[in-house]
Amino acid sequence: MEKQLLRITVNNEYHELYVKPKRLLVEVLRDELELTGTKRGCNTGACCACTVLLNGVTVKSCSILAMQADGTEVTTVEGLAEGGKLSPIQRSFLDHGAYQCGFCTSGMLISATALINEKPSPTKKQIKEAIHGNICRCTGYNSIIRAIKAVAEGKYKEEE
Amino acid sequence: MKKYSVINTPIHNIDGIAKITGRAEYAFDIKLPHMLYGKILRSPYPHAKILKINTKKAEGLTGVKAVVTGKDTLGIKQGIWRRFKELCDEEILARSKVRYIGEPVAAVAAVDEDTAEEAMDLIEIEYESLPGVFEPIEAIKEGAPQLHEHAERNINVTRHIEWGDVDEGFKKADHVREDWFRCSSQHHVCMETHNAVASFTPDKKLTVWTSTQSHYYIQVLLSWVLGLRENDVRVISRYTGGGFGSKFELDSAQFCSSLLSMKLFKPVKIILTREEEFMATKRRTPMFYYLRTGVKKDGTFLAKEGRVFTEGGAYTSMGATALYLTGFFQAFPYVWPSYRYDGYRVYTNTAPTSAMRGFGAPQATFCAETQIDLIANDLGIDPIKIRRKNAMYPGYEVPGQATIQSCGLSQCLDKIEKWIKSQGKLPPNRGIGIAAYGFMSGGIFNWFDTPYAFSSAVIQVNIDGKVDLYIGSQDMGQGSNTTMTMICAEELGVQVEDIRLHMGDTESCPVDLGAWGSRETLMQGNAVKMAAAKAKQQIIEYAAAKLSPNIVYDLDIKDRWVHLIARPERGLSYYDVVKEAIRGKDGQPIIARGHYTPHRKGMISPAYSFGVQAVDAEVDPDTGKITLKNCVTAHDCGQVINPLGVKGQLEGAMAMAAGYGYTEDPSMDEGKILNPNLVDYKVLRATEMPETKVIEVETYEPEGPFGAKEAGEGLTNPTAGALGNAVFHATGLSVKNLPITPEKVLEALKEKKKKKKK
Amino acid sequence: MIRDFVYSKAKTVKEALGLLEEHKENYKIICGGQSLLILMRQGLVAPANLIDIKSIEELSYINFKPKDGLKIGAATTHSEIEKSSPVKKHYPVLVSMEKNLASVQTRNWGTIGGNLAHGDPAGDPGPVFVALNATVKMANKERERTIPLEEFFIDYFETALEDGELLLEVQLPVVPPRTATVYEKFNIIKNDQGIVSVAVSITMEKKGSSCKDARIVLGAAASIPIRAKKAEKLLIGQKLNNGLLEKIGKRASKEADPVADIHASEEYRRHLVEALTKRMVRKAWDQARKPAR
Repeated sequence: MEKQLLRITVNNEYHELYVKPKRLLVEVLRDELELTGTKRGCNTGACCACTVLLNGVTVKSCSILAMQADGTEVTTVEGLAEGGKLSPIQRSFLDHGAYQCGFCTSGMLISATALINEKPSPTKKQIKEAIHGNICRCTGYNSIIRAIKAVAEGKYKEEE
Repeated sequence: MKKYSVINTPIHNIDGIAKITGRAEYAFDIKLPHMLYGKILRSPYPHAKILKINTKKAEGLTGVKAVVTGKDTLGIKQGIWRRFKELCDEEILARSKVRYIGEPVAAVAAVDEDTAEEAMDLIEIEYESLPGVFEPIEAIKEGAPQLHEHAERNINVTRHIEWGDVDEGFKKADHVREDWFRCSSQHHVCMETHNAVASFTPDKKLTVWTSTQSHYYIQVLLSWVLGLRENDVRVISRYTGGGFGSKFELDSAQFCSSLLSMKLFKPVKIILTREEEFMATKRRTPMFYYLRTGVKKDGTFLAKEGRVFTEGGAYTSMGATALYLTGFFQAFPYVWPSYRYDGYRVYTNTAPTSAMRGFGAPQATFCAETQIDLIANDLGIDPIKIRRKNAMYPGYEVPGQATIQSCGLSQCLDKIEKWIKSQGKLPPNRGIGIAAYGFMSGGIFNWFDTPYAFSSAVIQVNIDGKVDLYIGSQDMGQGSNTTMTMICAEELGVQVEDIRLHMGDTESCPVDLGAWGSRETLMQGNAVKMAAAKAKQQIIEYAAAKLSPNIVYDLDIKDRWVHLIARPERGLSYYDVVKEAIRGKDGQPIIARGHYTPHRKGMISPAYSFGVQAVDAEVDPDTGKITLKNCVTAHDCGQVINPLGVKGQLEGAMAMAAGYGYTEDPSMDEGKILNPNLVDYKVLRATEMPETKVIEVETYEPEGPFGAKEAGEGLTNPTAGALGNAVFHATGLSVKNLPITPEKVLEALKEKKKKKKK
Repeated sequence: MIRDFVYSKAKTVKEALGLLEEHKENYKIICGGQSLLILMRQGLVAPANLIDIKSIEELSYINFKPKDGLKIGAATTHSEIEKSSPVKKHYPVLVSMEKNLASVQTRNWGTIGGNLAHGDPAGDPGPVFVALNATVKMANKERERTIPLEEFFIDYFETALEDGELLLEVQLPVVPPRTATVYEKFNIIKNDQGIVSVAVSITMEKKGSSCKDARIVLGAAASIPIRAKKAEKLLIGQKLNNGLLEKIGKRASKEADPVADIHASEEYRRHLVEALTKRMVRKAWDQARKPAR
């Protein structure tokens, strides 16, 4: 099958790639662009381990054809710490031990980041709803909820 | 209690930065030059003879590099119970017979996954389907289809535990209850599925990157089945995306990728799909339980008899251990004057059942704790009081089985009682149920037949004070990397930043049996502490020489300060002493080794954790739906080493165990799993989690490093039972068939109404 | 695995309809793809041509006019509906339905048109939109047509969309005064598809305390979202009381045609239909009687 031109900006870097139309966004991110931080945990769009930001909103990169992301801006976990400086969400995750095996963590961080970007002070209920799609088998979620709540309560204000 | 500089402080997990920046490289992520991709073809039949396999068409497909089948193997039946040959019954790539749907029969290596998948359709296999048997009660009958030649009536293993005179006990009892239970299977659902990248090179050495709980076991098992020298096999597992008991046996991804690589001298990567995980990887052992219990009318326990049939699946796997442990923990955590247990593991044409967090204890605890509440109800005794009356205590000896040293069970009961009282009167359809548990901190058994110490550690102190710590334990998320670093830092008297950890590589790390049976904190921890103590001793010797204090003074290191214990202001910087010590040793770094093997520690474990969990649940009487409102756990893991880790383990265990209790329902029909995906197999999500309160009950365990015991697996034991008891107290209904689904609750409600009418 | 296909991206409706005509009987439309891609990955669906309509801006809109009601473009995402002010004001049941649908990630990319065209009787939008008396507009290269949503669903995963036709718009009439529409699904894990679901819309008499109109729609209880018409008739013209509520529930349960599967037996599904219908009828009744804001 003929490859098609994909123009995509990932973590503020512009790429032009030729991909087969059947390639999924997660495959292009992990294989062609070698950004293996985004993981895959299932085949039925159920686990959200592959969550990335696409034009600012969370999507499952396993459930989007790469060609559908043509012309868009994507942020993966690798793009959260700019210039080696951890984002407030990342720092809070560290402090709260909001990860264990780490495999779902990329997706969780992205979901958390999108939430705080949209609602700087979410309630616990809203936090749970925001990460509802992301399955974690290790933490039982509560440490993740605490980490996001701490950011929501302004405990990780960025120094201006 | 003692004050520590490092342990029991909220240190960041040492793998934290890697994990939260997406830099942690799992075997799932490994990409090597010239790497090929593999896929495994699996049997569609639960029981069949393999008559003919024709791989020519598949081999001819463009992009396919090799196809292997059972005839490309040495035909070795392997198993993890290496000491018992008759229990080594699994070939992995079946040669003449398949015994479960999903059993591997061929594997393909190709330039990409899609090509490998296409090739699978071209492999022609002729099967002769045989009658299958799927339930242990059926499989044990005369005339049932036989899975293994050597196993009469499909009985794989039996276990017997007994002490006291049970029959006498029942005679003396004022009240005797009999109950039957059915404990379901459960799937681990690690977020990282089983996978391996195997690379066999022309120097006849094999390197395998894999997601595992024990690189040592995989190294030994692979070398065995492939006919390689043990140390010509290198297994690497720096990060493992979840294990929970599913990843310390040899699996099809590791075996097939190695076989293919040995044929091609190129790296081959195999990643199991989520469907393959559900269909064909090991799972929790389903059990049919009969319990007969006799007590005095004041609630004193007298006699208990348990009979269990477990659905073994097609191979032994770790099922023999689960069979024993369920019988052992059935009597936990109480004093039973007499006890008798008979367990039968029966082969069935289903995916092998094995180890999953709790290892037979969650099943045992569910049954035991459900029955205790029923007995308490029969006799009009408070559920806490009846448990307190019979609770284990420090120094108790389980006859012929174990000595309980540290035991905070009573304190746990007190804490939970206090919390329950604080909740006051509950609204209708709401109930609080409790369950008490105990669990092992690593097993004393060596069915693997290792000649090595169960755990070892090596320390090297370098000129700049940085400490290389080499351990064999595997961090699969439970935080053992951080725990070992903390133990080392505490013992040596430095900080976590001074430690550089080496793990996850058989080439450079000392042997440790792996992260299963909750053994790492106690066993690897003891080995690390021993090594650190020896390294410290060498440093102290140099400091003593330098300071030359009165002989009555002894020295220690704390917070990088080598000092006189009695006069802490007199001392030297750790960094300075290290420099001089290395010069003093002719330029050699300070090296120390530690190891640990349990000797004469009973039949099960050197130490036991304890706890009591209360679950507050609401039941919708119209639909039977259960909603978790609150969960409080008081637990005793001895000395807490890694507090963030312990809390995380407790909450994670609770979520997994709650799933076992009410949402995770593996549906099988004649050996076929009907819900092999995360849509239809329901694990808990964030929205289902209640508040989880943790109350630490601190004890000191003499067997453990700094008094520490396990805290990751035991916590999986109580939730199903506590949840079931909550439903009982909310509705008066006792569902003895896991998981407790809304439909079952409604059925029970209907039954109750019918009985009332009568 | 996904089989190769020829991929075309349409920028306008006209372009899309042209492509559908060109690839007669040999295509699949992808919009959000949240259902389609799963089927393609499992090899259940393998079209030779895939026509991507996700970028058609003219299909993404939510327009409310006090006289005409609500019009939603087929490529509007679930999230957009969830967050829309006119929807929140005039059709709040849609907001709560969307909030409880799958995950944020699915809602951000999946579309209402894709959901309805998928024809899953267990889907959430179907019963709710039917309860709201929705109509759907479709078009092929030659003409447009609009039919009631109730007639759009034909069987499991089968809709009235013909070869060459594209779903363009979902239309909701203005909500009559003294009307309340409610929806609940029964699931084990929150936001999962309903094992059974019920949407109820009740309109009170303008003056008076009896029911003028009732629509009871059952989801995941038959091969398509169905109206429990006999149950509705029990309520229309009546005042609700506990006795009548019991009858309505039982009647709705009889009208359901549920299957047994790994999640529930047929009997349990019928029981749930009864329980949820009673709950939703009571809830809609109580809400519809409240004085208008």
